[in-house]
Amino acid sequence: MELIFSLLFFAVPLVVCGMIIGRSVEKNHFAQLDQKEAANRDFLVTNLKTFPGAVSGVQDPTIVMSEVVIGSDYLKSWLAGWRGFFGGEIKSLQTLQVRAKREAIVRLIDQARQQGFNAICNLRVNSANITGVAKSKNSLPMAVVIATATAYVARPSK
Amino acid sequence: MILTNTETVTGYEITEMKGLVQGNTVRTKHAGRDIAAGLKNLVGGELKGYTELLTESRREAVQRMMAQAQQLGADAVINVRFTTSAVTAGAAELYAYGTAVMLRKIG
Repeated sequence: MELIFSLLFFAVPLVVCGMIIGRSVEKNHFAQLDQKEAANRDFLVTNLKTFPGAVSGVQDPTIVMSEVVIGSDYLKSWLAGWRGFFGGEIKSLQTLQVRAKREAIVRLIDQARQQGFNAICNLRVNSANITGVAKSKNSLPMAVVIATATAYVARPSK
Repeated sequence: MILTNTETVTGYEITEMKGLVQGNTVRTKHAGRDIAAGLKNLVGGELKGYTELLTESRREAVQRMMAQAQQLGADAVINVRFTTSAVTAGAAELYAYGTAVMLRKIG
């Protein structure tokens, strides 16, 4: 009986809340990312260790770093729990990770641009753990991404 | 001071190796931020408190690494790497390390 009550008054509203708000948050974020990435087309991004097309003697290269932490919503966490039972790809958390990674790269480019660079190389994307030692049950999934790259001035392509 | 995460620096040549420099920090946010993050986790979206936490940690770690490099009299740190580790819940350890070098402009 108590279980049914807690389900009705706690889990169900949270899942619905996650479904409505979480979905719209994710949709807006993806739309925003598409827009920013389209604006960044002219910016050269590589993960090469050399400096492709570098123009020397203009501006000293410098490191740029960005970090992003994105929380999941209750629906995603709940779906992930079910997926853990049946096995297979957890689509809801996959999109969460993608959002964090794309956002981190967008922020790197923003930083580099602000300092007057037009290219970054040796891009590295790492994930981190700030929720502490695997608390299994009540730890909520979140995507933590740290990105680094070196910004430099490159010859404009073409 | 020039910082890069590449092994070379475009427009410069390395004249002297000063050795490894490193810096780390373990930071956490106040409990209010943790509660706010917990609530945000119900509806999704960026957990700004934790993003800030990582930004602060990274700045601190890089600062300490640069202080070491300065002590060695280096003018650049190349091949900078970051690693993180989970110490306790809500805390982040950020460790930055790189090679301190002396550079000379070419061309």
